Amino acid sequence: MFKELKAIFNYREMLVSIVRRDLRSRYKGSILGFLWTFVNPLMQLIVYSIVFPYILKMDQENYPMFLFIALLPWIFFVSSLQGTTTSIVAGGNLVKKIYFPRIILPLAVVCTNLMNYIYGLVIIFSALLLTGVDLTLNVFWLPLILLIELIFILGLGLIFSALYVKFRDLEHIVGNVTFILLYLTPIVFPITIFPEKMAEVLGYNPMVPIINSFRDILLNGKQPEWGSLSYSMIVGVCVMVVGVIVFKKCEKTFAEEL
Amino acid sequence: MGDQTAISIKNVSKAFKIYMDKPLTLKEKVLKLRSNEYSNFFALKDVNLDIKKGETIGLIGHNGCGKSTLLKLITSILYPDSGEINVVGRISSLIELGAGFHPDFTGRENIYINASIFGMSKKEVDQKIDEIIRFSELGEFIENPVRTYSSGMYMRLAFSVAINVNPEILLIDEILSVGDVNFQKKCYDKLEGFKLNGATIVIVAHDLGTIEKICDRVIWMDKGEIVAQGEADRIIDLYTQHMNKQFIEQRQQEISIEKTADPVRIEDNSEVGNSAVKKTLDISDDNRWGSREVEITEARLVNPKGVTTNILSAGETVVIEIDYKVNSPQKEYIFGVGFYTAEKVLIYGNNTQIGKMKLQKINNSGTVKFKVSQCNFLSGNYKLNVAIVDGDHRALDFIKFYMDFTIVSNDKAVGITSIDHNWELV
Repeated sequence: MFKELKAIFNYREMLVSIVRRDLRSRYKGSILGFLWTFVNPLMQLIVYSIVFPYILKMDQENYPMFLFIALLPWIFFVSSLQGTTTSIVAGGNLVKKIYFPRIILPLAVVCTNLMNYIYGLVIIFSALLLTGVDLTLNVFWLPLILLIELIFILGLGLIFSALYVKFRDLEHIVGNVTFILLYLTPIVFPITIFPEKMAEVLGYNPMVPIINSFRDILLNGKQPEWGSLSYSMIVGVCVMVVGVIVFKKCEKTFAEEL
Repeated sequence: MGDQTAISIKNVSKAFKIYMDKPLTLKEKVLKLRSNEYSNFFALKDVNLDIKKGETIGLIGHNGCGKSTLLKLITSILYPDSGEINVVGRISSLIELGAGFHPDFTGRENIYINASIFGMSKKEVDQKIDEIIRFSELGEFIENPVRTYSSGMYMRLAFSVAINVNPEILLIDEILSVGDVNFQKKCYDKLEGFKLNGATIVIVAHDLGTIEKICDRVIWMDKGEIVAQGEADRIIDLYTQHMNKQFIEQRQQEISIEKTADPVRIEDNSEVGNSAVKKTLDISDDNRWGSREVEITEARLVNPKGVTTNILSAGETVVIEIDYKVNSPQKEYIFGVGFYTAEKVLIYGNNTQIGKMKLQKINNSGTVKFKVSQCNFLSGNYKLNVAIVDGDHRALDFIKFYMDFTIVSNDKAVGITSIDHNWELV
């Protein structure tokens, strides 16, 4: 394990340059360039906050922010999973021809999406201030919650990226499951809209406490609910351990399977 | 493992699964629509090899012999099924050029990305960037996006990054044919520099000249096994001879297949008088003239095994057989053959008259043979003339460039033909 960490550390420059390349190449050649990083979530914020209250007829206070605070970590979750799943196959050319710790590829995807989330925070905080939300010191729990989400995502990402090499249906399965999960996680509406029994079942999804915690610290000015959040953390760590084991087991044959 | 060993390979085997039909999707896996059968292809079989620090090793062998697999095992892109590989020192593998290049980024930006994939830190690249740019000869183009580069520029840039990493062990897979002659020379100078610095180099290449020039030791692999290893020139000689022989055998086989696929010809050979189908040789009138009072029905080259061919090994016996048919008898007949280079320059011509053979009465049909006890042409393509003329040298049937044939020679000399010789220093 120590050897692997050292290998990743030795190749940190590769990680950094891939992340930088992916972040920058997305908007390369466009006039607004890097500004699109902010324009895209802003557009989503505007559209969702007009459409959903109209359809759902909810009396949620400050609905745009209620949605947006949950939506950004959700986008982080979904695009990371979709990106990591295909990351090894997409990087097939490198995998087949060059030695480097294979874990760099899914890791780079997660880091790229993490960076996008962090840029999104700029919008979140300015919008929070604009809509008159009182920020409390509890905001400083943000890195911890983000770390828990990161561990969970990376664990899943490792499993999916390794399995996708052999099992190409996974891409579509992941796409569909995350699409359904969007509506089974309290993103666009509060969990209270589900019947109590169902809400309890849905609560087993580790993303639910994570999303709720983001809302607690940013919107409600409360501490996270530590009980359910630590549940997410335990699940996250377990998934991560499984992920590393699965990835280690599969990575030796990546170059042959591709 | 001694202090001086850089790479030690012990009993390494590697097999690839060749699926008859690989199931890839859930539906197919569940329904077993496609079979899951596979056969093992042994890319490497129980290979043992020790490479000392500072050695330059060349790996040769025909396609699919396992040399690239061996290289990939050393860099740990692949892992062996059994056996052990130990490597001491920092490896740099030039197996893929331009890894991670992004077309929209400038050459300079891509240098950083590419170098980081080789495991170099930003600081290291900072120190070397000027040298890399100078080496690539890209000048101010370095600030343009890589997508605007010509393929030559692209490869030069990629190569410059790759060759400017400072490796202890350098693995190179058939990528030395980049750029023009001058650029290549620079690359070789760079390699020489690595050698002087004590780097261990393993090269895979098909260009035997290169290998012979820079390698201390050459390893010849075939079917996943090491056939021979040792001094560069000795192994390369062995290998070339083997390849020549194989080339001839392969071509020979192709010819035999063609022959059996063409039953008309066999019929023709059996009985000339009987043949209802009048055989005409497919040769344009430009290259064939004469009264046809005597006709050449077929001519062929026969190798020492008695097989008709158009490819020969230099130094062997060869017989040229000319089948003829007399349509109206003549007073005298002269049969002749001529050899030409591919550029249609006459190398050698001879006939039965020069050979002091007076032919006045011959069978209505038959075969004339021109036996060469040793054909000493150098490797290349040649053309054959066959002709029949009468006693006054009037053409009866004269066929120019009747057929092309190939000679494969182990003699590396230049020109057309080998000459028996010895060098001596007095």
